[in-house]
Amino acid sequence: MLSHTSLFYPRLAQMVNRVRRGGRRGNTRALIVGTVGLVFWAAIFTGFYRVLQYFNSVPVFGSVLAAKLLSMALLTFFSILIFSTVIAAISSFFMSEELQLLVASPFDLDELYFVKLCETLLTSSWMVLLFSLPVFVAYGVVFEQTVVYYVVMITCLVPFLLIAVVIGIAIALCLVKNFPAQRLKDVLFLFTLFLIIGLYVLFRTLKPERLVDPDAFFTVIDYLTSLEAPTSAYLPSQWLADILGVFLFGQNASGLVFNLLLMWSTAAALVFLLNLFFNRIFFVAWSKSQESRPARATRFALFDCLVGLLTKPFSARMRVVIDKDFRTFFRDTAQWSQLFLLSAIIGIYLYNFRVLPLDKSPIPTEQLRTIFSFLNMGLAGFVISAVAVRFAYPSISLEGLSFWIIRSSPMGLRGLLWCKFWVNFVFLALLSVILTVCSNYFLRVETYMMVLSTLTVLFMTFGLTSLSVGFGAMYPRFRYENVAQIPNGFGGLMYMMSSVMFVGAIVVLEALPVHLLVTSAFQNRALSSMEWFGIGISFALILLVGAIVSVVPMKAGLRRLEQMETL
Amino acid sequence: MIELKNLTKNYGKLVAVDALDLQVPAGELFGFLGPNGAGKTTTIRMMAGLLKPTAGEIYIDGASVLREPEKAKQVCGFIPDRPFVYSKLTGREFMRFCGGLYDVPPQEIEPAIEGLTKLFHMDDYADELIESYSHGMKQRLVMAAALIHRPRVIIVDEPMVGLDPRGAKLVKRIFRELCDHGITIFMSIHTLEVAEEMCDRIGIIQEGSLIAAGTMAELKQQIGDSDGRLESIFFKLTGDEDMQEVISALRL
Repeated sequence: MLSHTSLFYPRLAQMVNRVRRGGRRGNTRALIVGTVGLVFWAAIFTGFYRVLQYFNSVPVFGSVLAAKLLSMALLTFFSILIFSTVIAAISSFFMSEELQLLVASPFDLDELYFVKLCETLLTSSWMVLLFSLPVFVAYGVVFEQTVVYYVVMITCLVPFLLIAVVIGIAIALCLVKNFPAQRLKDVLFLFTLFLIIGLYVLFRTLKPERLVDPDAFFTVIDYLTSLEAPTSAYLPSQWLADILGVFLFGQNASGLVFNLLLMWSTAAALVFLLNLFFNRIFFVAWSKSQESRPARATRFALFDCLVGLLTKPFSARMRVVIDKDFRTFFRDTAQWSQLFLLSAIIGIYLYNFRVLPLDKSPIPTEQLRTIFSFLNMGLAGFVISAVAVRFAYPSISLEGLSFWIIRSSPMGLRGLLWCKFWVNFVFLALLSVILTVCSNYFLRVETYMMVLSTLTVLFMTFGLTSLSVGFGAMYPRFRYENVAQIPNGFGGLMYMMSSVMFVGAIVVLEALPVHLLVTSAFQNRALSSMEWFGIGISFALILLVGAIVSVVPMKAGLRRLEQMETL
Repeated sequence: MIELKNLTKNYGKLVAVDALDLQVPAGELFGFLGPNGAGKTTTIRMMAGLLKPTAGEIYIDGASVLREPEKAKQVCGFIPDRPFVYSKLTGREFMRFCGGLYDVPPQEIEPAIEGLTKLFHMDDYADELIESYSHGMKQRLVMAAALIHRPRVIIVDEPMVGLDPRGAKLVKRIFRELCDHGITIFMSIHTLEVAEEMCDRIGIIQEGSLIAAGTMAELKQQIGDSDGRLESIFFKLTGDEDMQEVISALRL
């Protein structure tokens, strides 16, 4: 039984209260989140299972490739964990609200260290754990392992995670001791974003699709086997890879016990050393984290002019809200930096269309181009919905605790919601036109397909904007530390599920008209009246779905905001 | 100017505000007192249009806050107890934003900002981002912004929290002058000395019900203590008379 003075007590009490108050609604949420988590988990498992089975079927090279993939995956998990820990530790050790109270009280430094270590371990490693477990299980299934493999794997994962988290916390302590915490978080966020973009671009330029191209197969095998994977005997990820390799690929077992002991003793030593380091450095770093400099606003005449021009069609009240949103957006590193991610997505997306080997296909090129253009509508829809979850979904939550200003003003909530809708729609529509027109240009499709797909994607964008703004209003999160956290909840999940269904429905409903138009053009014949009727019905259904998706979420969001009583 | 009719607010089984009836005429500074959890902030948030009443009506300058919210809010300035504002705007930009929300003509906004910046002594930091402001500086900014559209009614929750003595004195003077110019102020406050010094009339709320309302003289008459200060009137009415002994003991 924990004493009431333990620092673990408030955390446990809050958790129990949350579960108690959750009621039926909480259970439904948990069920939906759990189901989606399972689907996600199953997808990762299936992906790795198929790749490993494929590797396993390749004689000689198969196990080498699988071992290489494992050590690279572990190194990736290890580095991501260190990065996410640095960010989580800055929040947990220096920016959480309880610290003001704790530091002013005669608290036990060792206990604080231990509580914060556990908290950081949980917050930063659960995602890595979620992603990595299906990978380990897939290895176990493909290489037909017994229960011993799974026991060893779990036994080794604990020190593996601990080592990464302790290193991350130590980096965070050193950084905060020397730089202001708030600015540091922004810089680290930006850095992590560049890292993700770098990895993404690197992965794409490796052209993984060549693995399924028999002509290029041997060169890829050569490439992968000759690749000096950046692993070293000093890296805990390599220790873990070596331990698992004994079971999976029958590697030399002589180092098994040594590696196991090495992992545990390193983790224990690092936890102990970090405790000493924490006791020595915490107060100085904490004091530093409380310092702030006066922040100056950046101003550009051109920016003011541009915003003035863009907001001209709106009413005076909407204009000031849009102007405020633009200024806030470009002054908040966490917000504008996401534009880099967006640019990388667009770049890679269009690059994929540019390098498509259409001429190698046995299907006639014209038809193939149209099929790709048609599928591209769905793909563009998914990209738009992913972008909307980052930019449009958080737009209401971004009002934050300042929401009282708009609520107590004569500007109604309906006006606010539509204001957010139109700004986001213009931005997303521009993106959707760029994506569709450029990819269709690279595909060299017929004009009618260019027009049809551009109009369809614009139509989808209208619905997706309504979905994202509406769901963002239904599940607002006014208390947040970082804008990137806003969509990471139940509402964001519901939005993503709804948007996928919406895009899927539009693509399915448009399949018939596109099919009829393509075949009639291919066969060089006019459409019959029945076929025109079918096309008409399809478009009527598309309009109906679009109308429902454009109106219902906005209305539900408005109702939720009007009923909301507490901030 | 302000009229509350049978105003009620329930949170589940808890009655936070219980059939409140109150009228505040134009140009009056009305002080709203009560112990913690008595229903002051709930009442104020309903008046500002942030909470929906369970029953009853609120009229501001004749307009119903429930049925004509835009009309009622247009003449109203609200100052909350905690000044949460957009941290990435400067003070000047924030005032400009508030002016726009209340449809202040563009040609009137800049002179109004200049005047208010001077009035609240914010010239030195009006062009800095709000994220670097102290609590008191934010409090002054929110007060200045609430006046930008020349409201006829000001609803204010705990205006003195976070203000230094100079700021508190300034606010007292500004509020008094606003009332002298016909503006109505409805103010919740915990500092009894300030309420006694500033307010034309005082209302005391306890457990959601208005237990007394009137001028200082009327309140004294009500409890039959002609020499009493507001502190003793407050404790007698709220049933915390023993509290005065405790306070005296602590002072020793």
